[in-house]
Amino acid sequence: MVISDETRSKIDAEIGNFPQRRGALLPALHLVHKDHGYVSTDVAKELAEIFEINPIDVMEVVSFYNLFYDRPQPRHHAHVCTNLPCSLRGARSLLRRLESHFGVRAGEATPDGKLVLGHEECLGACAYAPMMRVDDTYFEDLDFEKAKTILDGLE
Amino acid sequence: MPRITVDGEIIEVPDGRTILQALDDVGLLMNGVDIPHYCWHPKLSIDGSCRLCQVEVEGIPKLQIACNTSVQEGMAIRTDTERVRKAREGVMELLLVNHPLDCPICDQAGECKLQDYAYEYGVEASRTREPRRALKKNVDLGSTIKFDQERCILCRRCVRFCSEIPGTGELRVFNRGDASVIDVHPDFPLENDYSMNVADICPVGALTTQDFRFKIRVWFLEDAPGICTGCSNGCNVHIGVANNKVYRYVPRRNDDVNDTWICDSGRMSYKQIGGGARLKEAGVRGEAGRLENTGYEAAVREAAKRLRSMIEEHGADSVVVLASAHATNEDLFTLRRLSDGLGAGADGVAVVQGKSDALLIKADKAANAAGARALGFGPAGPVLDRIRDGRAKAAIVLGHDLLDESHLGGTEALEGLDLLIVLDVQQSALHKVADVVIPVRHAAEKYGTLTNHAGRVQRVEPAVEPAWEAWSDGEVLTLMGQALGLEGFEDGYDPAKISEWMSERVSAFAGVHLRVVGDQGRPLPGERA
Repeated sequence: MVISDETRSKIDAEIGNFPQRRGALLPALHLVHKDHGYVSTDVAKELAEIFEINPIDVMEVVSFYNLFYDRPQPRHHAHVCTNLPCSLRGARSLLRRLESHFGVRAGEATPDGKLVLGHEECLGACAYAPMMRVDDTYFEDLDFEKAKTILDGLE
Repeated sequence: MPRITVDGEIIEVPDGRTILQALDDVGLLMNGVDIPHYCWHPKLSIDGSCRLCQVEVEGIPKLQIACNTSVQEGMAIRTDTERVRKAREGVMELLLVNHPLDCPICDQAGECKLQDYAYEYGVEASRTREPRRALKKNVDLGSTIKFDQERCILCRRCVRFCSEIPGTGELRVFNRGDASVIDVHPDFPLENDYSMNVADICPVGALTTQDFRFKIRVWFLEDAPGICTGCSNGCNVHIGVANNKVYRYVPRRNDDVNDTWICDSGRMSYKQIGGGARLKEAGVRGEAGRLENTGYEAAVREAAKRLRSMIEEHGADSVVVLASAHATNEDLFTLRRLSDGLGAGADGVAVVQGKSDALLIKADKAANAAGARALGFGPAGPVLDRIRDGRAKAAIVLGHDLLDESHLGGTEALEGLDLLIVLDVQQSALHKVADVVIPVRHAAEKYGTLTNHAGRVQRVEPAVEPAWEAWSDGEVLTLMGQALGLEGFEDGYDPAKISEWMSERVSAFAGVHLRVVGDQGRPLPGERA
């Protein structure tokens, strides 16, 4: 079993909250994501058994949502918002400079597996543009030096 | 039943149906009322995603999709106004945004709905400058289907088919929005008994069958109506023929039999028609113990001659008759009369049993097992017993199903016979021991009727001509009857006349014969189907 007993009992508790068993698939995906960082095919098969659906049904949902991953991820996700307010405040050139700093293009991971750099749609922090999201944390009022320091300081 | 107005014509349609369903129910859809559609299919759930079937409904300001708008009493629909046309043009332009225009190398060309509607509603040149999506091409989804992701217009018919018909659900939509693609799970390929139907319902060239792709351009094919002979379900098919060669079966719609589907093994059974295993030469075992080709009619006459001398020597009781469940009702009615006319010791029919399911696949692996039984051919057991214990000296055998493990399991028991007359479509081990071998026609090469498992009598007609001399079983048996001087064989073998005669003589077939069954078949009296 790839899913831990603890996570399994949390999933079982979620199932009770939905009229249909498979309704709890989304909360279950969040739970396994917290444990593993992505949904492997083995995890998908186990979830499929729990929810009495095909493994492909699990993978379909995983592929639908941008923040679920079907393969191992770098340790961190750094996403710069490039919607209009952030772009007006220099988000695009910020992203371009970060790209050349790390030597990767947006959407690619650094070779050391430390982080993946990307752009993102509006996260609702326009008043503090430009901003980026690193994993679950917002960093606001950025310029290149600030962003570089934050990202270089990551484990 | 609500009455609706479609383009000014008042028609009565069933209640509780959507516009497309109702028009399909009354047989008008694409047959008088042409509403183009991709995602809607009469035998699948409604998706409403392609947006091509939009029509004007009086009293509703916006255009409505005909596939998912319920009919109501007094509803007035217009299917061909300028507004509808404009909307369809817009939809077609969007559907074509990512489609590679590779018709010249696409095997669907000629029977492609995207091609047809682009011709009717498409604009001449694309207005987009963005690159088209670059996706998977030439992918094996399973052992039967090739997939081209770029050609897919995401109608999701195949996804719904796999979930709803075989219930296996191998196909799903991955990602979302403009990144959506159809795909399979890497560990669970598209493998089910009905997988090749997805190629039929795919409106574009995204899904094609490994078997048929690049064999021939479809515009060279002529579609002949036929019946699949793989099992006793009797699925209706279009037989695709060019240059007297069968290239494929595709299912022909019959809501009482197979809806719009066919199983994969049935679909592939077309290969038996022209395959290398066909029996092509008549043969008579001579003094030297070898089968010699003495000419077709001579072989039939020789069979009758040898049979007559066997009867004179051992009595008619020493003759056994084994029918084939692959022959038509008319063939078997002729065999019935021959068996009765001779006074044969026993007769029966050998049927091979195989796997079955709740959908289409039936256990009797022959198209006319029910017809043989209705004509009084019982189980093969008593016939085979007589062969085994030596009471039978001569046997007339149609087909080679008696060699199956469930019957004789080999030719050994047959070696005790003094005379074995075999009429067969295919070559088999039977020919090693037979005294007279006569090639006969496949069901796709003759006129006649087949009775399916539910007692539905369906017509077959010649789609191809064998390239060698072969008559239908009924014709061969008629000549034998004549040569033996039996009554009732004087007028020769005309399938339509024999069929009509059968419907008069055999109460099970009362009123049902070749001329009246039509292209959708007709149930035997007393049968529900």
